[in-house]
Amino acid sequence: MCFKNLPIEFDAQGKPFLRAGVANPYAPTTAAPRGAPVQLTADKVEELLRRNGYIKELDFDPVTRVAGALAFHTVADFNSRKVVEARSVATLFRGYEVIMVGRDPRDAIYITSRACGVCGGVHSTTSAMAIEMAIGCVPPPLGVLVRNLALALEFLYDHPLHLHLLAGPDYSSAMVGPTNPSLLARARSTDAPHAEIHGFRTVGELMDDLNPLSGKLYLEALHMTRVAREAYVLICGKYPHPQTIVPGGMSSTITLSVMNEMFTRLAQFFDYSKKLTAIWDDLTEFFYAANPAYKQVGSRRAHLIDTGIFDHPDAYDATYANAAAWGERRWATPGVIVDGELVTTDLQRLNIGVEEFVDHSYYEEWSGNGQRQRFPSDPAGNPLSPYHPWNKVTKPRPQGQNWKEKYTWDTTPRWDRQSMEAGAYARLWNTAVARKLPPNPFIESTGTSLNLRLPKGALPEMEIEWKVPEVWNAFERNRGRAYCTAFTALVALNNWVAAMDRLKLGDTRTSTPFEIPKRGEQRGVGFWGAGRGYLTHHLVLDRGAVANYQILTPSTWNASPSDRWRQPGPYEEAVLNTPLLEETDDPKQFKGIDILRAIRSFDPCMPCTTHIHSDAGVITREVNTCACGVDDDGG
Amino acid sequence: MRVIVAGVGYRNLRDHSVGVAVTDRLEREAWPAGVVVEDLSYNPIAVVQRLEDEPSDQRFERAVIVAAAERTARPAGTVVAYRWDGALPGDKEIHRAVTEAVTGVIAVDNTLVVTRHFGALPEEVVVVEVEPAVHEFGDTFSDIVARGFETVCGLVRSCATDSKAVNRLPRAPLGGPVLAAARET
Repeated sequence: MCFKNLPIEFDAQGKPFLRAGVANPYAPTTAAPRGAPVQLTADKVEELLRRNGYIKELDFDPVTRVAGALAFHTVADFNSRKVVEARSVATLFRGYEVIMVGRDPRDAIYITSRACGVCGGVHSTTSAMAIEMAIGCVPPPLGVLVRNLALALEFLYDHPLHLHLLAGPDYSSAMVGPTNPSLLARARSTDAPHAEIHGFRTVGELMDDLNPLSGKLYLEALHMTRVAREAYVLICGKYPHPQTIVPGGMSSTITLSVMNEMFTRLAQFFDYSKKLTAIWDDLTEFFYAANPAYKQVGSRRAHLIDTGIFDHPDAYDATYANAAAWGERRWATPGVIVDGELVTTDLQRLNIGVEEFVDHSYYEEWSGNGQRQRFPSDPAGNPLSPYHPWNKVTKPRPQGQNWKEKYTWDTTPRWDRQSMEAGAYARLWNTAVARKLPPNPFIESTGTSLNLRLPKGALPEMEIEWKVPEVWNAFERNRGRAYCTAFTALVALNNWVAAMDRLKLGDTRTSTPFEIPKRGEQRGVGFWGAGRGYLTHHLVLDRGAVANYQILTPSTWNASPSDRWRQPGPYEEAVLNTPLLEETDDPKQFKGIDILRAIRSFDPCMPCTTHIHSDAGVITREVNTCACGVDDDGG
Repeated sequence: MRVIVAGVGYRNLRDHSVGVAVTDRLEREAWPAGVVVEDLSYNPIAVVQRLEDEPSDQRFERAVIVAAAERTARPAGTVVAYRWDGALPGDKEIHRAVTEAVTGVIAVDNTLVVTRHFGALPEEVVVVEVEPAVHEFGDTFSDIVARGFETVCGLVRSCATDSKAVNRLPRAPLGGPVLAAARET
């Protein structure tokens, strides 16, 4: 059974239908999530704060070392060293949905790219795919392969950046020393098991080189962003906002020479991946051995969602009708994982389970009050919620922050009413368990793991294995991201080989001509992925113009606030489960490092380049909601 | 002398695009050998790498950076030129600047801090700042910035080619001498 909360069942042919006899199938009372954790009520938290001096508020505003504007409110019990309330706050409005209405859909490729200063190309691609589905346009094989390569290269920029510039400093000696001196002392006398691969004799030496600004790993990551960026611009022309992504493929000219130049950059990631995985294996196992309580830092239920990415050119036909079939032939398998179990790999089922709520967000409801649900079903006739993105209307309503009511610009996406997490690791998990990988010499899906065969470079050829973790926490997110770097490099290698084969056959076509229909209504959805995981763009066209445009990013899922059932969003749940392991009893000295490790492990990416027009002008930079937070030193 | 003249800013953001508009204008002009005009409105880490790509015996000796900068203590339309003293903030702020750089924020202070920290900037850095009047989408300047545009172009030209003119500029921290004085009071 795919759905446990929504009243959706399947007939003998696997076609979904709404269970008979349910008067209002999408009402909150009809389909409340079962067995989910809940936040304490704001009233209860206020009472705890009033009655107990050892319970204190800790605000992180802004959370540093994340892309864009994120604040985090917690209430912590310093006796039991637990967090009793966690509230994730997106402090800026992302207005792309509003900006897009009424425009030519082709504008979406360039406008939505600006949603992110790191992963603009993924938005462009997702947008192009939504248009392809709406207008019926299929890229030629080389167009699909080059698109896969481009996005893989974007991830090869993104993952090292997060691991060693944003999250890495949380595990550096500059951070571990002041917060957990005994841990750093232990690290200095602990041999690093993979020293022969990464070159650090002890875990302490490794921590030294994770230090921001001066550490070798920090500086090396900066260099690797250049390598990935150079490879990217060879095939896309420009980073981070390429002009070469079009509906029906890519507008760039791809030659053997371009491919060879690109390969010299890609190949550098084979050795780098070996190092990255060795480093994050050693760090993770060191922390677990030093104190098993670290397994609880950032822990939550393994509820993950991913749209899959990297299409097979023989399978992708840009139709919604065949989305399940072409989705399952992707290099990263789409899927939904609930409590560690894969419940579907079908993109249609994934799509119909998605709803977006705004109970605690600065938006008005668009459903209810007798308003007609625009689309009761998807293009395949499957039931859709009134809260589904195709039915959603973005109605921003700025107002004061109130934990009982509204406190964030993020919305609350849920799948089957459950709080799902997006991330690069969801890509690994689905692919490892589903065993649907195309045959290839470099990546093997075993059902419980992924075997990754990395070619020889300065380091010898090496086979590494990412195993589905027994616990789901901050460390496994980072470890997963390191392995996903290797996975991505090998997906790129497979696609590079396939693209070279096409070129050798003289097949140089990278795009298919198209026209935007000027009549009727069409729907499309781009199912793709960012470095941080799940990404969809839902599009409705009306007489050639955008009638509705809805973007769901990975951080929309991860940073979501609590929902109408008091079920916390993923950041919130992970922080609520995080023990405070810092070696201080003085709340004034407290840096909140474990809370920050939990949050940063998700690789938060709040849309930092948001430009919102208002009567007062344009907002281009982040703003802080208050100045009363914990100073985590940023470093 | 090798000089790089560079604009920093976002396009289509009215007065905030003045740095880019200046380089768009100046790169069409004839320049003495050794003067390069470029738009450096991108990730400052990539700017570091671009500057480091110059051959070691041909590194730039002077950078003239032009941008809109919203500061307190000066009226809209003010044009300020100064020789940056190169003083950097603490490591925490530099790390914040690097984080913003790699995640896509383009701002003149970030570009200067990051490129100086990583040793990519020449010793002599002239900053030409324009105080913007409006902060909104559009490809036109406000009246006050439009009136001063040619003056800014002329100032940048002379900073690129006239060492005596550069030497007459005050030496100041980011924001220029007036802002520094305001900070002290």
